[in-house]
Amino acid sequence: MRISKWRADLLALLFLLPFVLIYVLYTIWPMIKGVEMTFYKWTLIKKMSYVGWDNYNKMFHDREVWEAIWHSTLFVILTTPTMVVLAIVLALIANRKSRLRKLYRTVFFIPSVLSVAVASFLGLFIFQPYMGFVNTFLHLIRILPENSEIFWLTEVGLSWIAVSAITLWWTVGFNFILYLSAMQEIPDEIVEAARLDGANNWNVFWNVTLPHLSPITKTITMLQIIASFKVFLQIYIITGGGPLDKTRPIIQLIYQTGFRENDLGYAATMSYVVFVILLVLSAIQYWLNNRKEARA
Amino acid sequence: MKWVYRILSLIAAFFFLAPLVWMLIVSIKQEGMKIVTLVDWFTPPYSFAVYDEILSTTKLMNWTFNSFFVAVCVTILTVAVAAMASFAISKIPFRYRTAMFFFVLAGLLIPGEAVIIPLYQVAKDMNILNSYQGLILPALASPVAVIVLKSFFDGVPNELVESVQIDGAGVWRIFWSIMLPLTRPALASMAILTFIGSWNNFLWPFLSVTDDNLFTLPMGIPTLMNQYSEDYVKPMVINTLSSLPILLLFIVFERQIVKGISLTGIKG
Repeated sequence: MRISKWRADLLALLFLLPFVLIYVLYTIWPMIKGVEMTFYKWTLIKKMSYVGWDNYNKMFHDREVWEAIWHSTLFVILTTPTMVVLAIVLALIANRKSRLRKLYRTVFFIPSVLSVAVASFLGLFIFQPYMGFVNTFLHLIRILPENSEIFWLTEVGLSWIAVSAITLWWTVGFNFILYLSAMQEIPDEIVEAARLDGANNWNVFWNVTLPHLSPITKTITMLQIIASFKVFLQIYIITGGGPLDKTRPIIQLIYQTGFRENDLGYAATMSYVVFVILLVLSAIQYWLNNRKEARA
Repeated sequence: MKWVYRILSLIAAFFFLAPLVWMLIVSIKQEGMKIVTLVDWFTPPYSFAVYDEILSTTKLMNWTFNSFFVAVCVTILTVAVAAMASFAISKIPFRYRTAMFFFVLAGLLIPGEAVIIPLYQVAKDMNILNSYQGLILPALASPVAVIVLKSFFDGVPNELVESVQIDGAGVWRIFWSIMLPLTRPALASMAILTFIGSWNNFLWPFLSVTDDNLFTLPMGIPTLMNQYSEDYVKPMVINTLSSLPILLLFIVFERQIVKGISLTGIKG
């Protein structure tokens, strides 16, 4: 745009002002304020007393914190690979030439528009013994004998399966759409050429489709790791973090420390650990993306 | 072989639909029915009585309104604020332009969850806890929206902008009558994804609002559910009622939503 130097500065200021003002006030300033809070005993009512590095020292020896971080990590391990594989499988289904193609797209995506509260409560009731959908369905198809029940939400291992399953059902839609549009970008000529060379479905998938999906897979994997690490409400509603805090993720612990135990200073200290972890993950993501672009 | 694929596809579709269908069916059962098998859920009698009860005895309608009001405000303002900022970064040659771009980019690295505790303190200092301002304002500065919209503004050729300038259009005219119309699909996608994101936003409303007249749906639902431990019907009625608006919206805007996700690559 042709414009004099000082007018450009003035106009840019006007256009940027609303964004920068809100951005600084509600993102940058809390970031800085949070550092201060980690050095204080700080309750919901007010700032109490300066405690130096006490919050940090306490945290490094706090088993609850490391357990909660492990639970969030475990959730990442459980959901990320399954999410990627499921999204690719669903995209393959919806990408096949079929009269039901549009229907599949709608059906696979529809749970994604539900609110996390709805998805979680649906999950809570679906996995109930005696009357819940899963157990009655397993009875119906005779996988589970009539007189036995699976107690999904009171055993640690089964709770993880239930929470992961409901999360997959609820959020796979977004990744599915990203894969579907990536698949639709593959030129038909390439697929046809491969077939003329005698490739079967499996060869086409393995040697044409999958390589084409590799850039988007990197992005999806990283975004999924970050999203899964921030898990809170599904677990909070479905298992309450239990049994015996064995499924409690770090965000839930931060919430409980700050708002139940009235210790915002300690909660802020924990959030900085989360921040550092997520920062490292994001840095890896940018590094992967840039490496890809540099090669292209 | 074709049949194998077809059957597997139908099974997958069944698993995605079944929980929703079950939710709807349970919601129209009568309370306290004896349920032993899955088939029992799907046998009449049905009744909408619990719907009436929930609508008249709870604040669900009130919360639906709050969710809508907050989501509409957040959507309009987020897109407006981000469009202005990204226009400046993309097309106005001001000093510190690169620095500003990186300043916004840095925001992508700051997860909302990590600043939520100090944000609570900041909002308290500003006296906006328990208010619509408190629900709306912190959500408005979206670095993702700025970065994505900037890439779309970058796609508008500078020659076009300059030729319009030669015809005498001012900067505001260029922004309003050239840039915005040319990037309408991107703006619409961004708006829809922002709306869904706000509609489903949980953590911040949950911490910042304690007055149940100001609850949004995602935070109101858990407070209602805690009252029912054995009953299935009421919880599913609540689930259904609170999902209906967004499901209707999805049905109307499905194509744009799907396009929006593949266009911007973000989750709202």
